Amino acid sequence: MQNRPAIVAVGRTKFGEHYGKEPEKLIEEAWLAASQECNIERKDLEACYLSDCFLPITNKLGLEEGFLSELTELHVPMEATRSVSAALLTACQAIQAGVCDTVLVGGLEKMTDRWDKIRDDLMLLEDPWSYYAGGTPETNHELMLRAYMKKYGVAGENQKKLNIALAQIAVKNHANAARNKYAQFQREITVDQVFQARKILQKPLGLFDFAPISDGASALILTSEAIAKKITEKPVYVMGYSSATDYLNFPARDDLTHFTATKIAMKKALKMSGKNLRDLKIVEVYDQSTVMEMVALEDLGFCEPGTAWKSVNESCNDYKGYYEINGNRVFVNTNGGLKADGNPLGATGGAQIFEVFKQVRGEAGKRQVETDQGHPKIGCTLEFEGFGTKAYVSILGRGENEQ
Amino acid sequence: MSSEPIERRVSYLGDRLRASRCKICGKEYFEMRDYCGNCGRKSFGKMEKTDLFYEKGKLELCTFVKAPTNKFMKLGSYVYGIVSFHNGKIRVPGRLTDQIFCNGTVDFSSYEGREVVPRFRRRYSVSRSEVIPTISLAFSLADEYYPHQEYLIAKPSKEYLKPGIVGYGVYTSRFRIKEGKLERSVPFVDEDAVTASVEAGKLALLHSGVDSTLVGKIYVGSESNPYAVKPIASKVAQVLKLGEEEEDVQSVDAVDTEFACKAASSMFKDAASLVNYPQSGVKYGMVVGADNSQSAPRGCPGGELDTFVGYGSAAFIFGKYDVIAEIQGWYSCTSDTTDFWRRDGEPFPMHGGRFTGDPAYFKHVRKASTKLMEKLNLTTRDIDYFVTHQPNPQFPVKIARELGFKEEQYFVSLQVNKFGNTYSGCSPIGLAAVLDVAKPDETILMTSYGSGAGSDSYLLRTTSQLIEKRKRQRFNVKFQAENQFVEYVDYTTYRRLKSGM
Repeated sequence: MQNRPAIVAVGRTKFGEHYGKEPEKLIEEAWLAASQECNIERKDLEACYLSDCFLPITNKLGLEEGFLSELTELHVPMEATRSVSAALLTACQAIQAGVCDTVLVGGLEKMTDRWDKIRDDLMLLEDPWSYYAGGTPETNHELMLRAYMKKYGVAGENQKKLNIALAQIAVKNHANAARNKYAQFQREITVDQVFQARKILQKPLGLFDFAPISDGASALILTSEAIAKKITEKPVYVMGYSSATDYLNFPARDDLTHFTATKIAMKKALKMSGKNLRDLKIVEVYDQSTVMEMVALEDLGFCEPGTAWKSVNESCNDYKGYYEINGNRVFVNTNGGLKADGNPLGATGGAQIFEVFKQVRGEAGKRQVETDQGHPKIGCTLEFEGFGTKAYVSILGRGENEQ
Repeated sequence: MSSEPIERRVSYLGDRLRASRCKICGKEYFEMRDYCGNCGRKSFGKMEKTDLFYEKGKLELCTFVKAPTNKFMKLGSYVYGIVSFHNGKIRVPGRLTDQIFCNGTVDFSSYEGREVVPRFRRRYSVSRSEVIPTISLAFSLADEYYPHQEYLIAKPSKEYLKPGIVGYGVYTSRFRIKEGKLERSVPFVDEDAVTASVEAGKLALLHSGVDSTLVGKIYVGSESNPYAVKPIASKVAQVLKLGEEEEDVQSVDAVDTEFACKAASSMFKDAASLVNYPQSGVKYGMVVGADNSQSAPRGCPGGELDTFVGYGSAAFIFGKYDVIAEIQGWYSCTSDTTDFWRRDGEPFPMHGGRFTGDPAYFKHVRKASTKLMEKLNLTTRDIDYFVTHQPNPQFPVKIARELGFKEEQYFVSLQVNKFGNTYSGCSPIGLAAVLDVAKPDETILMTSYGSGAGSDSYLLRTTSQLIEKRKRQRFNVKFQAENQFVEYVDYTTYRRLKSGM
């Protein structure tokens, strides 16, 4: 890749319920954290890419760029997207095109300001016809699970194992989040608790299978390779990125068991990076539900279709911090995932990138994972907008021979 | 938040379940498409308009919703899933309606693979000042209360000299409240007078085999229209595609009528006259009587009605082709007698106690019935069936006996014990019950009553085509009255369901 864009610093807020803070306070906090880390001043920024999924609905705020302009006292180009991955993708293209060299990429969301109507809003945006028919933000996940079990004939003993595997995903993510000071839920849960919550609702998925609604912000500073090398000794390069799109109406999609958009985006991003799947040791997937994490393992190519639950179940029965898939160790959602780290839509992708950034630099503290060759070199993030309507894959890593 | 333009677009597609099909590759789409995504530009002009309104679907996958979104809160818990049509060529989201889930475990996976019928219902709750959203992405199980029936358009074979009834349909809900010997039909929470009108109209089209585009006039009589201003008839016309459709406008005259319980039956003669007037250009006219009969709760003023009110509708199609019952004559009478009324803005009607009997109901029914028999030179012995309005189980029997009718003449029409007083739907349902069992060349005297007050008396004579057409309607009055899937609810649930979304 020519003129590799590099992330030089990341920052984020704690995810959770920030009732006392305005949205602009959150993004300010995230941006300041990133700027302090790399000593970049606001006047160094040549452009800003800001994401939020629905601030105009939750906080009746349009033109969020104006807030950022006020905060930074900058009049540079600023563009808004719906996810940090989308902002990153646009920023990468700008840097590669040589339009600018130093860019702020950020995201924020303030969902608890509309806690009473948020489920209606989420579903209406995600899949309007399903909403009109009575769907909730949970139903598409549950239907995908039903479709999955039917397609792959998962029944009887295997169905029990699959249900346990899904619970283990939540348990694993909570355990990871317990070591993440920014996470919304810094406490461990048990498989029994997950099952108990499902029992209350008489459903295959319960409270602990879903990501929460959250407030939060995240930011990163992206520069050209040449500038990155001056600023930091350990730049993290965006080696590949891609996105793909699928129908808004979930029932109308050809494949109800997988996310076509993920498959396409992953294939293209891998090709762009010139890396192999096996090079990716640290993976942040979009686990809006435990089903999504399971399916993502298959869509990204780590597991054969219909088998991810087996790998998860086997790995988690004696969990060592990674999924063991075909002899390959994959560290998934080491920050706690959306499930436990939190899911402030417009800021979520920033937290995923934050995690990969910290892990590949060996700066993840208590959460730092180690492979046989030291800390992981390359990782990827998978972020969605909607229920897999848009999928973004970003492959991030330190260069070869760089420690 | 509500947006009338969005509501209109969603209803236009969703009420009728409009779809399209590519003539080149056969791919089908829910919603209307000008071109096929598969075939691209060459498919412009090659998309066929279809719809799924009369189709049978299959519930492919489902889950259980126990914590709905805000607008669906009043539905409580329900089964929600993906319904496929045409062997999976079209998949749509949908919820199962007409099911009450109380405590206890629900094996929702047992619903998967079952056949379902689209039902036109309220979509979700909105505030009282907003447009009422509707949709047909609500489904009921085809092997339960409401069977799937095909809509087969029949070419007319015979023209009659006199206009008459060409087909009819009766709709009552799956739920009932039973107190003593009296059973009354209770709407599901997503039903109202509008959904009942569409159901009855749909069933009348199925029974008559009339091409809906040939229906030139639709009258809907109701006193429980959820709107004070805005007709029910326009919804019926659009959902049932009455008259030719051009640029989402139906070439049909649609009007709501109001005269307490005779709002619909009063229009029988108007529809018959219209189809009999050559210059009108109207081949068929449809009359619907529908009510979610209103009553204050027991113990409140006007709450006495709460013992008898029901929910139901009946639709009749009038024309001169393939008539099953010719109209021989009619007589109407009116006086300004306020025995039952509801002031604008009030949710429940009031009535005049004992005053509703002698000076109101009995006087007008007696007058219209005897005057019509006099006019046509008939006595009660010349009449095979007598049908009248049934505000309670006693009144119709008393007036029938007083007029000289024997039990076998009026018994068949008495449906108040099964469905309650369905207000505008009441005497029409009685007439339908008679037509369900009558033989050719029999004479029916029907006298409606509407508070306010007035009566319309009709003399009908059945034809031989009555028997042939009967095969076309499985969902007849008896089927609904004696259905094994009827579900009984207690008084509290009845009030909750009746008050709607």
